[in-house]
Amino acid sequence: MKHIDILIIDDETKFADMLAKRIELRGCSTAVCYDGKSALGWVKENSDRVSLILLDLRLPDLYGTEVLIGIKKINPVIPVVILTGHGTEKDRKECESLGAYRFIHKPLNIDELMVIFEHIRETSAC
Amino acid sequence: MLKVFLEFLKTLWPEFYKHRKNVHLDSFFTFTNYQYLWFMSIFVLALTALSPIGIATLIYYQLIETSVDSDLNHRTKQLTTAAKSAVTFFMEERLNALTFTVNENGYEQLEDNTRLSEILKNLKLGFGGVTDLSVLDAEGNQVAYAGPFNLEGKNYKNQSWFEQSIKKMNYISEVFTGYRDVPHIIIAVRSAKTDGSFFILRATLDTERLMQTLSSYKTGDYADIFLVNHEGVLQTPAMHYGAIFTPTNLIFPTDSDETEVREITIKGKSIISGHSFISRDLTSTPFVLMVLKEKAGMLKFWQDMSFKFNWIMGAIVIVIIIVITFASTFMVNKLYHADKAKAETMMQMEQSQQLASIGQLAAGVAHEINNPLAVINQTAGYMKDLFTYKDQARNDDELAEYIDSILDAVDRCGTITRQLLGFVRQFDVKIKKVNLQKLIFQVLSFHKKEAEYRRIHVTVSIPEPFPELETDSSKLQQVLVNLINNAFQAVQEGSCLDIIATQTNPDAIELVIHDTGCGIPEENLKKIHEPFFSTKKNGSGTGLGLSITYGLVKKLGGRISVQSTEGVGTSFTIILPIKINEGRTA
Repeated sequence: MKHIDILIIDDETKFADMLAKRIELRGCSTAVCYDGKSALGWVKENSDRVSLILLDLRLPDLYGTEVLIGIKKINPVIPVVILTGHGTEKDRKECESLGAYRFIHKPLNIDELMVIFEHIRETSAC
Repeated sequence: MLKVFLEFLKTLWPEFYKHRKNVHLDSFFTFTNYQYLWFMSIFVLALTALSPIGIATLIYYQLIETSVDSDLNHRTKQLTTAAKSAVTFFMEERLNALTFTVNENGYEQLEDNTRLSEILKNLKLGFGGVTDLSVLDAEGNQVAYAGPFNLEGKNYKNQSWFEQSIKKMNYISEVFTGYRDVPHIIIAVRSAKTDGSFFILRATLDTERLMQTLSSYKTGDYADIFLVNHEGVLQTPAMHYGAIFTPTNLIFPTDSDETEVREITIKGKSIISGHSFISRDLTSTPFVLMVLKEKAGMLKFWQDMSFKFNWIMGAIVIVIIIVITFASTFMVNKLYHADKAKAETMMQMEQSQQLASIGQLAAGVAHEINNPLAVINQTAGYMKDLFTYKDQARNDDELAEYIDSILDAVDRCGTITRQLLGFVRQFDVKIKKVNLQKLIFQVLSFHKKEAEYRRIHVTVSIPEPFPELETDSSKLQQVLVNLINNAFQAVQEGSCLDIIATQTNPDAIELVIHDTGCGIPEENLKKIHEPFFSTKKNGSGTGLGLSITYGLVKKLGGRISVQSTEGVGTSFTIILPIKINEGRTA
């Protein structure tokens, strides 16, 4: 099975697809899930071959925090970056306490994401 | 000097008189016309306080006047009765003496002039006031005479007094001048002769003695006692009517022996008049005794008293009005201050509510815009990536430029949505200890390069020791960032920016951020806290900075105010509690 660098979980399909394309242009592999349940299903099957998960807080079926808890249950070491359009300070604290790696706001700066990814890759390589 | 005095007067002038019209603030006032309220307060209080005094005074005057009138009438009656008794006695005494003389001596002795002279002498000694004596026969011939006038041989047959004397046993005449041309009264007694005819003994009384008797009853300058006949002609001189024999308009409605008192008007003067017919039944006389008392004169003492009383009442009324005026001014001023404070609070609440509702709207808008923005951002980003990572459009610089401008616009929209969301998020407070000086230097460090480059002179003045604040650090930081950013944008090269913090009281500090920049025009000063109000050109400002700052300061339990003069500079003053009270924050 192919290794996936970044899993994008976002219900805004156009955004998720476009982001995936851009990441791929930068030489990374991606997978996309559009809701919480399918994302958890995907992670369950592929938890050992994903480097980073990008998770939107607002999903149609589950709360982002629920998905985060689910991911951490499956594999606590996968870094999860929370991506949100309207996250509050309270959300940030909650996510950090649940083990989120970063908390970044939309609109997303892809270069910032790539820096984070590079950092993760370097630290996991060590 | 006058200017100083006028300035001093202005400080005494109540605050509500200096109220400047502010349509927005005025709409929150409970009372709109404080001057009217003040006037009505004084009017109603004065009316309530003074009307009982006025009514009591009127009643008092009425009572005094009635009792003084009654007393005056009573005393006039007493005096009239006493004087009447004296005059009656005067007449009766002389008439009785004459009757005694006639009965004792008889005609034979009386027609002897020598004997008559002796009798006259005795009468003068005993009673006084008798001028002469004469004896007349039934024909009116004077048969004997004793006295100073040479009246022997005179005939009185046709004189009215003689005719009256014949008809009655005795007779007292009015005052008249007669042959001697001197005012006198005649007393005549008729007696029978032995031959069956009659004779008359006549005595002449001078009026001087009578007037002396009357005068002895006169009390004070405003009282007069005199005699008139039944037709009202003066029998003795009178103060108001003049000399003897002057006719008067005095008329007497009743013909009784009782003393009567009434009020009349003479030459515009109000006069208490007492009259009494003199012993009409016992000894018929033509006299009426008159006592006149000038009311004004008799009331002079009381009038003097009431004059003093009026002065005292006037002074009391003035004192009451002054006290009422001061009390009303004080109360209305207090009311005005309370009302103003309430109106200001309500206006601030309205602004807060506006901000809160705008905040809710803003949050909704931001949420809805953020997702399409993210899509645009990524799509434009992807298009740009195609230029960067694929060869097909690598050399189309113009298209790349367009994509950059889309990305710029998205960035700007992103800034707006972040600020709008920040605007909503300001309602959460996280309290921790904050060192204000550190926080200020931290914020200023972002502008260090800019300040050096633009030669902006920044000074921070914070006294030592300065209390640590217990407040929301990030909110305070955002306030400082917003205000310092604004200041840097407002100042020209080489200007000054002063940040001064002072502890104003044990519970609060004051932070002033003063710049010598372009200043804010007066018409904009009221709008600067309104969301989306911006004067920055080309849409470089979102118009949210100061409204967010305003909301943040309120949230921190503080107040923010601004003073600005166009072309001189702007000062933002923030009052903050040293220890934030969560329950009290807006």
